[in-house]
Amino acid sequence: MLGLIHNELLKITGRWRSYIGFVGIAILMPFILWGFSYGGGQIHEDYMSKIGDSFIVTGSVFNAFLATYILLNALWIHIPFLVTLAAGDIVAAEGAAGTFRITLTRSVSRLKILMAKLFAAWIYTATLLIFIAVLSLGLGSLWLGAGDLIVFDKGILIFDQTEALWRMFLSFTLAILVMWVVAALCFMFSAMVDNGIGPIIGSMFLIVIGYIIMAIPLDLFDAIEPYIFVTYFSVWLHAFKEPIPWDVILKSLSVLSLYTAGFIGISIAVFLRRDIKT
Amino acid sequence: MKPAIQIINLTKTFKQLRAVDQLNLEVPVGSVFGFLGPNGSGKSTTIRMMTDLIRPDSGEVFISGQSVQKLHNKALINVGSFIERADFYKHLSAETNLKMLARMDNIPFQRISEVLERVKLTDRAKDKVKNYSQGMRQRLGIAQALLTNPKLLILDEPTNGLDPQGMKEIRELVRGLSAEGITIFLSSHLLDEVQKMCSHVGIVHHGKLITTGRVGELLANSDLFVTEIRVTPLDKAETLLKKTDWVHRCEVKDESLWINVSTETLPKVTELLVKHGCSVKAVIPRTSLEDLFLSTIKD
Repeated sequence: MLGLIHNELLKITGRWRSYIGFVGIAILMPFILWGFSYGGGQIHEDYMSKIGDSFIVTGSVFNAFLATYILLNALWIHIPFLVTLAAGDIVAAEGAAGTFRITLTRSVSRLKILMAKLFAAWIYTATLLIFIAVLSLGLGSLWLGAGDLIVFDKGILIFDQTEALWRMFLSFTLAILVMWVVAALCFMFSAMVDNGIGPIIGSMFLIVIGYIIMAIPLDLFDAIEPYIFVTYFSVWLHAFKEPIPWDVILKSLSVLSLYTAGFIGISIAVFLRRDIKT
Repeated sequence: MKPAIQIINLTKTFKQLRAVDQLNLEVPVGSVFGFLGPNGSGKSTTIRMMTDLIRPDSGEVFISGQSVQKLHNKALINVGSFIERADFYKHLSAETNLKMLARMDNIPFQRISEVLERVKLTDRAKDKVKNYSQGMRQRLGIAQALLTNPKLLILDEPTNGLDPQGMKEIRELVRGLSAEGITIFLSSHLLDEVQKMCSHVGIVHHGKLITTGRVGELLANSDLFVTEIRVTPLDKAETLLKKTDWVHRCEVKDESLWINVSTETLPKVTELLVKHGCSVKAVIPRTSLEDLFLSTIKD
């Protein structure tokens, strides 16, 4: 299995499309951090106006942790798109290129090949989020410095550096798990068709529909909300609550796991029965 | 001994089109089997069902006695296949492509240099496949099929897009592999090539098997026996034969008469010509696989 995953990673790293997310983030992140350092004074003043009367703050509240926290909030809707760029291609592109004629006629089962592709898509997804974390926290620390993380959640929460760091770790871990659902969704579409664009459009369509349902305050939509996987995408935010609502996190992860299992199950059912005609 | 390939009542329908219809076929071990048929006759669909790429509606394919439909890829352990075109990961080198496949089959990388040597691609092993010519890609396609040291090689149109030199190389390669005891199942629309390479043939049309057997036997038993007759005077002989109703075709080619007659009536031809004062210098059987193929699918 490791050999098969190795193969899939070789294929992913060989496609220029796989690097779009990394290049985009590598360009965007310094630009955003520069913007924060340039206009960070305003954010510092906003924070101080809210907490300055009650706390004595030394240094700037605007540091790498806060920048990463704000960035995650801002980029959250866009990251799924970057994930689908690789996951959409992973099965469909082989159908389009005709390479299944070589790989699926070997002694390895289709199931193993499919699972290797899924794990490779998940490794890609995790790498992308780790890249965001390292760039944002690493570059942010160099540029803006480290410090306490101050967030507003039913009051003011101040996490010292050590706590902020492990909460960031927890938050990115949850974010990776959420993005694995996106990867599994796109993977499912990818297992059904022979072009890499369809799965990207299909996945983003479902995600956007989910966001729309969440955004419109209608009773009907409110009733549907608990059953939509997009509802649980914000689970990473719970890492910055006090106390951490583990029960909510567990419930969110359970629902997301069910969806993931469903997407994978459909992928397997479709792919194992699929006629390879290309 | 179990046949290398045994196909039993294989059927596949795509929407309204019955691509393969109750096909039965046996490929003997050690043979070079030519699988012939016009475009759309069901050859590729059959080959894809043999290699588990397409699932049949009914029927079964057995490879060395193992059901492909029941065991799937496990039945393909001793099979190397090259289907339709040599499509590889073009952005990767030939060597990397073969390494990926070797990893799938748990084959030591050392085997890669052996197969590349065999298809004369050693010098270009590090080049990306996108920079390969069509002929080189075809050869790489055969190299990947040979990676597993197969006992059965399934080649679907292996000479597609090759120049005469390339075709000759593939022909020699196939002969060499056959000499090593590998059973070869070969689909091609180049009948001359098939006749040169194959010991057995099967002809399919509209998804059904029309005829199968040893090439020599099929040609010998063919109703339409193509014969070259070297005779003088040529004009007189041509006029004489064209007047008969038992010579189906008669034409002058390369200073000879080429006629189509049934096996039984061939002696009557020389008798008639001699009786009318023609001098017959040679009677040479020229029945080709192409004649057999065309007459078979015409029926």
